[in-house]
Amino acid sequence: MKKYKKSLASLGLAFGFAFGFSSMAVAGQFDGVTLKVATWGGSWKANMEKIIVPKFEALGGKIEFVTGSPAANFAKLVAGRGRAPFDVMEVLDAQVGDFAQVDYLQPINLDLIPNKVNLQPFQYNETYVGSWNTQETICYNTEKFAELGLAAPKTYADLAAPALQDKVSLPDINSGAGLANFGGVIYAAGGDEKNIQPGLDLMKKINATKFWTRGGETKTQFESGDIYAAVVHAGWCTRAARAGSPVMTVHPEIKPGVKGLAKEGWLGIMKSSENVEAAHWFINEYLTTDFQYEYAINSGVFPLNQDAIEKMKTDEINAKLMELDPGAISSMLRLDYSKVDKTAWIDGWNKTLTTN
Amino acid sequence: MENRWIAYLIPPFIVTLLLVAGSQFVFIQNSFYQDLGLGRTGTDLTLVNYLKFFTDSFYLKTFWITIKVSAIAALLTLFLGFPIAYVVARMKSKLAMFLLAGIVVSTFVTIVIKVFGLIIIFSADGVINKTLLNLGLIERAYSIIGTQEGVVIGLMHFTIGFSVLLLYSVVVTVPPSLEYAAQIHGASRLRVYQRVIIPLCAPGFVVGGLMIFNMCMGAFTSAALLGGGRVLTLPVLVQRTVMMEVKYSTAASIAFVLLVSVILINLFSLIAIRRLRSARLVVA
Repeated sequence: MKKYKKSLASLGLAFGFAFGFSSMAVAGQFDGVTLKVATWGGSWKANMEKIIVPKFEALGGKIEFVTGSPAANFAKLVAGRGRAPFDVMEVLDAQVGDFAQVDYLQPINLDLIPNKVNLQPFQYNETYVGSWNTQETICYNTEKFAELGLAAPKTYADLAAPALQDKVSLPDINSGAGLANFGGVIYAAGGDEKNIQPGLDLMKKINATKFWTRGGETKTQFESGDIYAAVVHAGWCTRAARAGSPVMTVHPEIKPGVKGLAKEGWLGIMKSSENVEAAHWFINEYLTTDFQYEYAINSGVFPLNQDAIEKMKTDEINAKLMELDPGAISSMLRLDYSKVDKTAWIDGWNKTLTTN
Repeated sequence: MENRWIAYLIPPFIVTLLLVAGSQFVFIQNSFYQDLGLGRTGTDLTLVNYLKFFTDSFYLKTFWITIKVSAIAALLTLFLGFPIAYVVARMKSKLAMFLLAGIVVSTFVTIVIKVFGLIIIFSADGVINKTLLNLGLIERAYSIIGTQEGVVIGLMHFTIGFSVLLLYSVVVTVPPSLEYAAQIHGASRLRVYQRVIIPLCAPGFVVGGLMIFNMCMGAFTSAALLGGGRVLTLPVLVQRTVMMEVKYSTAASIAFVLLVSVILINLFSLIAIRRLRSARLVVA
């Protein structure tokens, strides 16, 4: 009788497990599906391969990555007249306006993204689901600043100090962080999306040694001593710190009541995708606490998942170099890209800041 | 018999025509339509993209810098490459073959690796800056990134191996007996160079110089990485226009100006040199 009861209990447990799983995901759910994801290479792709890919493979599917910057992937889309070589794509906030003009994305069924509960309501809509954000900072070498007798910078204008000439690296307008940070400089100099001249004048005064196109370049330049300060997102500064460079971040004063600058990442599903269900599954997985935290630690971005943000506080370097207070984060400057005339910005940049 | 051999050339010719000329034709055709951004173009044929290029000081300056850094890099590369090519060509030991093999192998190393090597050597804590600082020749570490000098160095680094191979093949066509004859008649080593070797190698210099110049004009990686976003050349500008602005027609017009200008510079150079030589022969 006792043995019979034990067997019955095991059977019940097995049923329970089976029923429980079927409500979330079913083995074989994505049999034969190959989901193509457009994202960056390096740690970005590696994080997905480590956490999301095994789960998808357990459901019978396969994930392939099309690596490149969002700008490069957007160019691929345009070249293919919207016929995308991928199903899901990382989109930068600065690209949202471009996507609106070309209509290459399909609506997202938010009912299929239960993990959106981890986000704040403004972080998702019917076209995009937020993926991460970055805190654009001034990262500086504390030892070199002390050697030069310079106080910690407070805002971008402090980078124009004569002692820092040729020792500052700024993001190229051509880089993923270019428009956002140029916007930050414009605002800090007293301009806005329509009046960029004060920003150009300040950038010229700073006289950067280099305009970086990949944030990783700044880490190398800190290590080699080529630069003493860089405008770069906090994640690259934490990486430099983890590699042993004596660096610290400053969230620049932009205007009264606004300190710091945020850049946001989004995920979108391509209109041409034939793997819509899998694409939704992928976005949902992107928002789990585990993935968001790992991503933040390894790639230096800031998570949107509230539990992951709490977890960030346990890491000493993150706690020191990143802003973890939700109030401070929400008051950071976010550019209104619908007001940005990208051609005019690039034209002004080219004519003022290249040595041509 | 000859026709049969020519038949073998037809398949590669068709493939080349389709892959190179075909794609280029589509791209260039695009340049004659107004650029509406995001890969879209107008419907009427127009020269507006070209007018913008030739009336905008930014584009003209970029064009000039591209020609300038390419010409300087080509000249300096010839200047550096010729002595190496000469020494290797005149070597009688087997070492010459090893050196040549080394040069060939070095040309296979991807340019990204080569440029990063340069960046490390010229970094603030790199060999060159440390040496100059220790010797008291400079007060502060000098960076080549973001300077035209840096782009020239990068272009030279990119083409030096190729130039040595090219000039080697020129030097070996000059019989050493001519040098011996000149020396027997009392010419100094310098005079032998001036009156025998350099004049005989001159056609090779011209062709080699033009080939290196062409390579530099189209070089992207060295200019992009060492220009540091501050020095823009036309290939870098084409990439930025396509990637950042997604303006295909504008990028196509820049690329077409680059292509035509390279062809014209080559043609004019060859014509000028031919005329110069004819004039010299008449004078002689």
